[in-house]
Formats: sequence, C-alpha cells, structure tokens
Amino acid sequence: MLSLGIAARFLRKSPVQSILIAAGIAVGIGVQVFLGSLITSLQASLVDQTIGSSPQLIVRAETDGDPVVFDAALKRAMEGQPEITTVVPTRSFSAIFRQEAESAPLQFTGGELAELDTIFDISGRLVAGDASLGAGEVLVGKDFADAYALTPGTAASFVLPDGKPAELTVSGVYDFGSAAANSATAFVDGAYAATVLGLEPDQYSAIDAQVSDVFASTDVAESLRGEPALSGLEVTEWQEANADLLSALQSQSSSSYMIQFFVLVAVALGIASTLAISAVQKTRQIGILKAMGMGDRQSGRIFLWQALILGIGGAAVGVGAGLGLIAVFSFLGRDSASLFPITPQVGFVVISFVVGVLVAVGSSLIPSRRTSKLDPIEVIQGG
Amino acid sequence: MAETLVHAEGIGKTYGTVVKTVALQEVSFELQAGEFASLIGQSGSGKSTMLNLIGLLDTPTTGRVVLNGHDTTAASRKQRAALRNDFIGFVFQFHYLLPEFSVLENVLMPGRIAGVAAAELVPRAEANLALLGLEGLEKKNANDLSGGQKQRVAIARALMNRPALVLADEPTGNLDSVNTKAVYKLFREINEELGTAFLLVTHDRGVAQQTDRILEIQDGHLLQDVRNEYLAPA
Repeated sequence: MLSLGIAARFLRKSPVQSILIAAGIAVGIGVQVFLGSLITSLQASLVDQTIGSSPQLIVRAETDGDPVVFDAALKRAMEGQPEITTVVPTRSFSAIFRQEAESAPLQFTGGELAELDTIFDISGRLVAGDASLGAGEVLVGKDFADAYALTPGTAASFVLPDGKPAELTVSGVYDFGSAAANSATAFVDGAYAATVLGLEPDQYSAIDAQVSDVFASTDVAESLRGEPALSGLEVTEWQEANADLLSALQSQSSSSYMIQFFVLVAVALGIASTLAISAVQKTRQIGILKAMGMGDRQSGRIFLWQALILGIGGAAVGVGAGLGLIAVFSFLGRDSASLFPITPQVGFVVISFVVGVLVAVGSSLIPSRRTSKLDPIEVIQGG
Repeated sequence: MAETLVHAEGIGKTYGTVVKTVALQEVSFELQAGEFASLIGQSGSGKSTMLNLIGLLDTPTTGRVVLNGHDTTAASRKQRAALRNDFIGFVFQFHYLLPEFSVLENVLMPGRIAGVAAAELVPRAEANLALLGLEGLEKKNANDLSGGQKQRVAIARALMNRPALVLADEPTGNLDSVNTKAVYKLFREINEELGTAFLLVTHDRGVAQQTDRILEIQDGHLLQDVRNEYLAPA
C-alpha cells in the first residue's frame, strides 16, 4: 500500500489542488443528486396529481350507457390481478347545479365513502365539513364551493339527468389540488345514485380500479381483456388517455439524462486535466521513485489512488450538498401548494455516488498511464 | 578472489534515430564487490551514460551488462526495477529527495518499495542517518535542510537496502569544498565499514585520485583503467 500512502501525501501537500478537484466532483455529483431527485419527484408528483387520485383502470359496458353487473365472477377476476390494489364499483351521472340565475354542470360519482376513499381519498382531502355521504348529502370540491359560496350545511339545488329537480345538503368540501377536479366533480351516496340512474343494487356505471405500479396499467388491462368474466365489457386505462403526458414525461427524462451526462463529462474533463497537470508536477518524484526500483504498475497506481480518494471524498460531499439543496428546496417550499415534495431515492443517490467515484477513477487513467510509462532516465537526464 | 559485481561487455550507446549521436562504443570492464572506483572524463565524454547503463536506468544499444550474476540484456522493466532496488544505491548531483516527505521517510523509501514495513526499517534508517551525522533531523521536511545535509540524506537513502553497489554521479557537484570533502570521506568510510562498492563519476581528477581505481572515458571509449598508486590501500 506504499502507492496509497504516497498518493495521500501528494494530495495533502497540494491542498488547494486537491480541494479544487474534490470540489469539482462534489459540484457535479451535487447537481446530479439534486437534478435527478428533482426530475424524479416532479414526474412522480405529476403522475400522482394526474392519476393518483383517480381510477387508473375503468371497466365499463361496451355499449355506452349500459350498466355493468358487478357479480362475484367479475369481482374475482379483477381482484385476482396481483397488480390491482383497489376495486371500487361506482355510479356516475351528470347534473346541473342551479343557484338563482346561475348554473353549472357537475359530474357526480356515487358510491360508499369508505370505498371511494381508497381511490379518491376524499376524507383525507377534506378542507371543510364532515366526510359523510348519508342520504341527501353531497360532497363538493373547494373551487366549486368557493364559486357559489357553499359551506357545509348549505342546501344545493340540482337538475337531474331526467330533468327532475333535487336538493342535496353539502356535508363537506374537499380539495383535490386541481381546479378542474375541484370545480366539476361531486360525490353522493351509491344508493342515491342508483335511484337517479334507475339501477338495480348490483348494477353500476363502471368498475374503477387502481394498480400498485401505475405504469403497469397497460399490461393489467390487457390481462383483464382476456378474462371470460369481462366479456361484453370494455377496459380502459389511464396511459391510453394520457399519451401527451407520457410523452412529456419521457422528454423530460431524456433532457434530464442529457444534462446529467454533460455535467459528468465536464467533471471528468476537469479532473483529468487537473490530474494530468499534477502528474507533470510530480514527474521528478515519480522518476526518482522508479530509479529506486518502484515498478510501473505501482507508480501508475499512485494517480489511481489519488483519483479514488478524491472521488470518494468529492462524491460524498456532493451527495451531502445535493441532499442539502433538496432540504433547502423543501424547506423554502413547505408552505407553497404549487411546489411538490422532492424525495431523494436511496438507489439513485448510491448510483450517483458510485458514478462520481468511477468518473474520477476513469479520469485518472491518462495520468496513471503516463506515470507508469515514465522512464526514470527522463528525469535523471533532465536534471 | 573477489566476487564480480558488474560485468560490462562491449557496451555501446547511440542516441537518436535520424541524427545519430554515439555516446559510448565498445566499453568493457568489470567491477568487483567492495571496490572503490571512479569514472572520470570530460563533460560529454559518456561517463554519466555509462553510469546510467550500469545502473539499469538506460539500456545499451550494443553489448550487455551483467549485474551480480544477472544478465540484464533481456530483462523486463519490472525485473530491471527489482534489480535496481536490490543491488544499487544512487546518489546524483541533485539530491532528488521527495519534498512531500520527511527526512526519515525519504530514507525509508527504498525499503518500502521493496515491500518491507516501515516499522521494521526504522532502526536501520536511523542508523544510516546517524552514520551520516544527521541525528535529530528525522522528522524535518527534506526541504528544510542545507545543501550538504540534503546530499547526506540522499546518501543515507541510497544505503537503505544495503546495496552491493553505490553509483554516484557528480555527487558533490552542488556542494562547497568543505561538504565535498566530507561526502567523499563518508563514502570511503561506508566502503570500508559496510563493504559497499562505489563507482563515482566525476570530472575532478583530484577527487578521482582518492579512489582505488580510475576508469577514464574519452569520446565514448574507455581510455584507461588504472589502479590508483597514490592512495590505494596496502
């Protein structure tokens, strides 16, 4: 381990140079960790906002408007899919809200609150009133409630699909984090929805489902289409309806990878050039060590060790800086609803650290090769 | 009969490929264990080239060097490095101490290169430093010493692996006359005490005449190889 000792001493005796190289690695890896985590979390947040609180798979009748009979066979077929985490039968209808001269369309979803919560998490997103869906009660979105000054306990008038009027009491107000969802949706009791739609107790408008891996929805839908219990039914999944979002996420990933790649290239070039200068500066020392009998490999390892030490130190600081930036970002945005939480992925952080060390070691190959090829006579004759 | 340490046979060295410069031609001699010899000649005569070839720092264009029974003609870079570490101690005109290391660490270096742990080497390194009058300077940085002290540290380092041969190329070239005298006196003492062979390159005839044997090189040829009549031990 003589080469390691010499490497460490060379680094210690050139502190400014060593710090500069380590700082270069740290900046690169810090950017890598921050940017990577930011993009991953942004995408997770976008996906969550878009489909996290909505069904990712919907089973409907092939003929528009026909009910789906949610019998034991269909339930078994759906719950038998290992990726499916939640199956909720729902009844949907549109109604017009009326308040004096004003009116607004609303999409109603009827079901049992406990079941609806597994997909929509209405109870968790309640901002006013109670999470209750008793007879004659309705839960409305925050934007809708604000627009028409509806508060818990207020009666709201509607015109049902068959033209009959209805009056429901607002039991609570929820916030889905999306103005569109908050102003156009409402939830009612499943039995009430059945009455409105004229459905039997086992008949539903659709069977909604969520999957553990949102990107597995295509495969799950394909598998469901092959189930005999789903014959005559249509399965749709979120990715078909959100091709633009997926394409945007993919483009974002590609641009993020490009940025991270070029940051690492810049770091590698910086380390390589600084280590090359260091190798030139230490030519005399290496030459005399070789004259004393140090072998080519052992001398070449000096710069590999230097790079490894700098790589480990720099990458560790970089990971710390990246996580620190994430903490600062999260702290500054703690009260802002428009900011999303950044969650560093352990796997990604570890990979970034390893990449940092590998880039540093890779960058030392040229100076290391140069050192191992150095002939001591070049130094002795050169004085 | 003394053991042959260096067998140089028909050594020639030519530099360059397009414009060729002949530095040495057909030089042959032997050096026995424990000898105290000098290699003299004018600047550019080829004496440093000869020393570098014997020290396996360079390879001859023609001829062969046998070092302590090892024919080095076909030796790999690794084998040459190992032979240098085992058998040869170098002292150059410039001390070539490693400025990043202390005096003691510099002296330990040849032993460390040989793979011996520092703790095992320290007593010998301290003895070498004591022999050269450098006690108390072990922890000093090599850069903090005077010119004469640096050269003495370089000598202590050259002796670390108890080499059979010390090759010294103008070792007092950067020293004043007092230090020059002291260094040669030390070489002689080490030669007598440890039986280490010395081959000293110098252009100073006065210095050469203090050695037991003088090899003179002129224009790349070995002009003469004589035993020194004046100061040779009885």
